[in-house]
Order: sequence, then structure tokens, then C-alpha cells
Amino acid sequence: MRNRVLSALLALSFSTSLSHAQSAAWTGGDELPTNPLACDATPATVAAKPYDGGSPTNAPDRKGKTLKVVDVPKLVGIGYFNATSKGIADAAKEIGTMDAKTDGPSKANIDDQITLIDNYITSGVDGILFAANDPVAIAPVLKKALAAGINVVGYDANSTPDARQWFVNQAEFNGIAKAMVDSMAKETGEDGAFAIVTSTFTTPNQARWISEMAAYQAKCHPKMKWLETVEAQEDNILSFNQTNTLLNKYGDELKGVFGMTSVATPAAADAVTQAKKCGKVAVVGLATPNAMKPYVAADCVKSVVLWNPVDLGYAAAHVLRAVADGTLAPGATSVKAGKLGDLSVINGSEILLGAPTVFSKDNINNFDF
Amino acid sequence: MNWKSLLRHETFLALLLVAVLIVLSFQSDRFFTVSNLLNQGRLMTEIGLIAIAMTFVIATGGIDLSVGSILGLTAILTGVFWQKLGLPLPAAAAGAIAVGTFAGFANGAIITRFSVPPLIATLATLALYRGLAEGISQARSVRGYPDWFYVLGQGEVLGVPTQLWILAAAAIIASIILAYTRWGRTVYAIGSNEVASRFSGLSVEKTKLALYTASGFAAALAGVIFVSRVSTTRSDMGTGIELDAITAVVLGGTSIFGGRGTIAGTMIGLCLIQALKNGLSLAGVKGDGTIMLIGAVLILAILASNLFERSGTR
Repeated sequence: MRNRVLSALLALSFSTSLSHAQSAAWTGGDELPTNPLACDATPATVAAKPYDGGSPTNAPDRKGKTLKVVDVPKLVGIGYFNATSKGIADAAKEIGTMDAKTDGPSKANIDDQITLIDNYITSGVDGILFAANDPVAIAPVLKKALAAGINVVGYDANSTPDARQWFVNQAEFNGIAKAMVDSMAKETGEDGAFAIVTSTFTTPNQARWISEMAAYQAKCHPKMKWLETVEAQEDNILSFNQTNTLLNKYGDELKGVFGMTSVATPAAADAVTQAKKCGKVAVVGLATPNAMKPYVAADCVKSVVLWNPVDLGYAAAHVLRAVADGTLAPGATSVKAGKLGDLSVINGSEILLGAPTVFSKDNINNFDF
Repeated sequence: MNWKSLLRHETFLALLLVAVLIVLSFQSDRFFTVSNLLNQGRLMTEIGLIAIAMTFVIATGGIDLSVGSILGLTAILTGVFWQKLGLPLPAAAAGAIAVGTFAGFANGAIITRFSVPPLIATLATLALYRGLAEGISQARSVRGYPDWFYVLGQGEVLGVPTQLWILAAAAIIASIILAYTRWGRTVYAIGSNEVASRFSGLSVEKTKLALYTASGFAAALAGVIFVSRVSTTRSDMGTGIELDAITAVVLGGTSIFGGRGTIAGTMIGLCLIQALKNGLSLAGVKGDGTIMLIGAVLILAILASNLFERSGTR
């Protein structure tokens, strides 16, 4: 047993150092086309697109009937997905005719997640809510669910469109990118150098945001310098270590660190605090307010960007109910989501939650998640 | 005699498996159905292939920790050979399997040539091969394989998942080799007493080299099946699969010190773990509870096996 622990530790340190050696060549973005927003606050024009989601085969009439729903996040036991499953539970309680439970892998592992969903298909649920660890790898098992007549709705991290019916998009990628880069430019100045701590280079959301950030930065803040992107696996200790390495490696040149996950951002803030570089190195990132309150109160972090994950889960549950009832059908332009009101349909088969929120010292104490 | 205690462990394990199957089928009426059981067979094939080769390796008193990384490397190379080098897919898969097999051969060479303990040697290559996979892939996934390729991982032959045929064939061939050939006896002899085997004129080094190569081949084959099952390649594929395989082997009664173990035991151990994972999930137990129960079963099985052994002739 000790050997295993030892081996795991050694392997981790090995692989970290290996990815270090090579990561300079990678930006961590994906190859998809980018669509940066205007540098001022002009809203983007949305092109209409036909429905491109899938549909379940021979789904029974579920209108008004109690739905047995399972929510499979990327992983369980972290604040972010605790918040989404709270939102789902809240909505289920409010709707009344929905019996929802959350079950996910303990690590963000594609194979564990696929096996779990497969088991729930066999056990006979009415609806599946998911946040994909890999958009393509999860597709076969979701298609299997659709073929079994199960309603499938994604949130947080998408699959290929034809493998699910609808996807609740927490914020458009270019919107997040704009909020992040604008906040960073405000703190470090137009010619600051920054680095990024992300989860892995293949995680779909992070890769997309990074691509959009690169495009937006090149367009609107061309003098900022992008030093490096490092991987930290959504792991607390690794995120801390990677930030520490960045601080040591670039010294005074480094003016800002982006945290791309709700794990990386507080860890980066912690590393900056412990290195006594508060005020010299800005931390901007995606994170839940509760995790960031101490750093924001100590003036070490000025802006935290996020949508409300409780609302995200809440909206996903309402969308699933609407799909099962048949009130949300292909071609619809909006859907009613309880207290959130009408949410609009974008990109064919996605539902937009809204614009991201930038939390700062003034408003962060109004949020509790 | 050793074979008696050996028989007892497997009988005990088989009885446990039957008991678990019965209990679980009472917990959920969807558990003991043909389609569910076949589907579980599909899900456990990759670990099963690796565990079969691992049984040989552990029976010689060795271990191979690098299998998960070899799986990842093979998966990535299948995609890269096919998409970047433009090879036809069968050639790409064969090429990737060849590289994976060579990775296993390299393990064997390091272990036999330089007498590095297997734990250390394969721990080093675990990091090395994973690093290679990450470097070669540049963190890009390869997707969009032709439909016929998915027959291997998602299709069926005569109503049974394709890869389950491969696993069954591998298990039968491996158990014949281990139980009835001179070569199989050599494996046990090395595990019982390596020095004595060498003085008895057995080709210890050659046997070990062949075993680690075979382990690499099994991991590589599992890698291609895995790609076909999930229809994409990622450099983090197969992370931690070595522990799942070793768990199945050890639960199956193979001694971690070598000299003892059977393929049948490994397969029963594998089925037991898969049945628990699936059945508990269907019965409404959440993921964390399932892992805890599997840990408890593993400890219980080993304790029971030790009890039998003590009450036996030894």
C-alpha cells in the first residue's frame, strides 16, 4: 500500500515536471474558430441556427408525471458541483414532480463517468443531467440513453450536440473571455505579462475560454504579454505548486495569473499570498465567491469572474422538466425557468443562462455559494 | 501441497461471486439480465486483458505499473499514425500496438539486463510513457474515426460484445499456457525461487523478457479497444488502470510474492469487482460507497485466503 502511495506521488511529480518541460509550446487553447467580442460593451449579434440536438427514441409521455432524474457532474466533492446539485435539488423541490439525485465520479475521469451513466441507463431513469469530462468520449453512452427513450440535458460542459437534447450554457465563451481579460488589463496595465493556470489542455470549456481570451487579448489589449499556460488537473495542491513555480520562474516579469478553474483560482491566490506578492501579482479567475472571500477581503484579489452555479443547476432541472413535458421542443426560442424567468435559446440547441458576474469587494458578500 | 490451498481460495472466491450475484439480483431487478451482464463484460475487457498478462508477471514475483501509460501511449499513437501520418487505420492500430509491445519489451530489458527491481523500472516507465503520450499528442484529441472501427469497441458479434470474444480467447489461451505448458511451470518456478530456477537450467531472463513484452502487448491491445469504445483519444487515457488490474489479480489469489496464481482466479476476481461496482450502483448506492465496499471485500478475501492457507498443509 505504501508502495502504491509512493508510486502515485512519484508518478505525479514526474508527470508534472514532464508537462512543465513541454508546456511552453502550448497555449492550452483548442483549434476551433474564435469570435472575440467588441472591445467596448457592444453586444454581439447572434446568428439564428436550426436545432442541432438529438431526440430520444420512443420516449413515453412524461407530461406531468414524476421524473426519476440522475445528475452526473464531472466529479463530486468540489464546491462548484455541490452548488450545481443544490440548484438541481432546489428546482426539483419547487417543481414537485421530479425526483433528482446526484452521483458522479470521485475524479474527473472519462471512463468512470461513462460507466456510471451506463449503469443509470440500465437502472431505468427518465432523465439524465450531465457535465461532460470529454465532449466526444461521452457521446456514445448519451446516444445510448437517447435510444432508450431517456431525456438528456447537459449543463456546464457540453457533449457533441447530437448526443443530447439541450445544453444549458452558463455563459458564452467570448463573454467570459472578455470579462477575464478586461479585468486583468485593468489591474496589470496594458503592457503587463501574465500566465494561466488551467485544468488540462483537453478540458473543453477551459480550452475554449483560453482560445477566446487569446483572440480577445490580441484584438483589444495587444501589448499584454502571454508567458505560459500550465496544467493543474483541478487539483488543489498541484494548482498551488504550479503557481509557485510560475512566480519563481518569471519573478518580477509576471504581473498577473489567470485561474481557469474554481480550484486553480483560490490556490493561485493562496500561492501569491504566501509569496508575499499581493498587489504585485494580480489574480483574476473563475471561482466560487465563498472560496475567494478571504483573498478579496485581504485585497489580494480584486476580481472574481463567474456565473451562479446554483442558478445553472436550477435552470438545467427546469429545462429537463420542460423537455419531458414537451413544452420545450426544437425550434423554440426561449424557455421558462422558474424564478429565472425566460431564458433564450442560442446556437441551435443551447440555452443561455446570462452574462457572467464579476465579483469584487463591493458585492462578494451578497453571495453565498 | 500448494495446489490444495490454491483450489480453496478460488472455490471460496467463486462462492463469494455467486453469493454477490444472488444478493445483487434481489436488490435490483435490472441487474441479472443478459443485456446488463454483457454490457458489463464490455466495460471490463480492457482491465481484463491487462489483468491476464499481469497474472503472469505477478506470478513471477514481478509487477508492471506502466500498463496504464502504455495504454495511453498506444491510444494516442493510433490517432496520430492515422490522422497525422495518413496511414490506413488498421495499419495505424497495428503500428501503435507494435510500439506498445516494444514499450513492454523495453520494460523487460531494463529489468533483466540491468537487474532493476520491476517496481522501480516500471514506475519510471509509467512516467516516461505517459510523458511521451502527452508530448506526442500535444494535448489534442483525435476524433472522427470511420464507423467500422467502432465495431471493435461498441459493436456485437453473434449477440455478444466484440471485445468480449477477444477477452474470452485471451483468457482460455493464457490459462492453458500457465497451467499445462513447461513454460507456465517456469513462471511458477521463477516466482517460488528465482535462484533455484536459474541453477536448474531454466531460462529465467528470457521468460521474464517475454512476460513484460506480453504485458505491453496486452496493454496496447486494450488501448486500441478503449479508443474504439469511447471514440476519441486523449493522453490521459488509462490513468490508474494498473491498480484496477493488480486489484483483480491479487483478489484472484495470485501471491504478490510470486509462485502462486491462476487465470481463473483473476477472471473471477475481475467479475466480482465489476459485479459489485455495477450491482451496487443499480441498487442505488453512490460511487463513494461502492469504492469503500470494494476495498472491504478485497481485505476480507485476502484475510480469508490467508486463513485457509494457515489451516492447510503449509
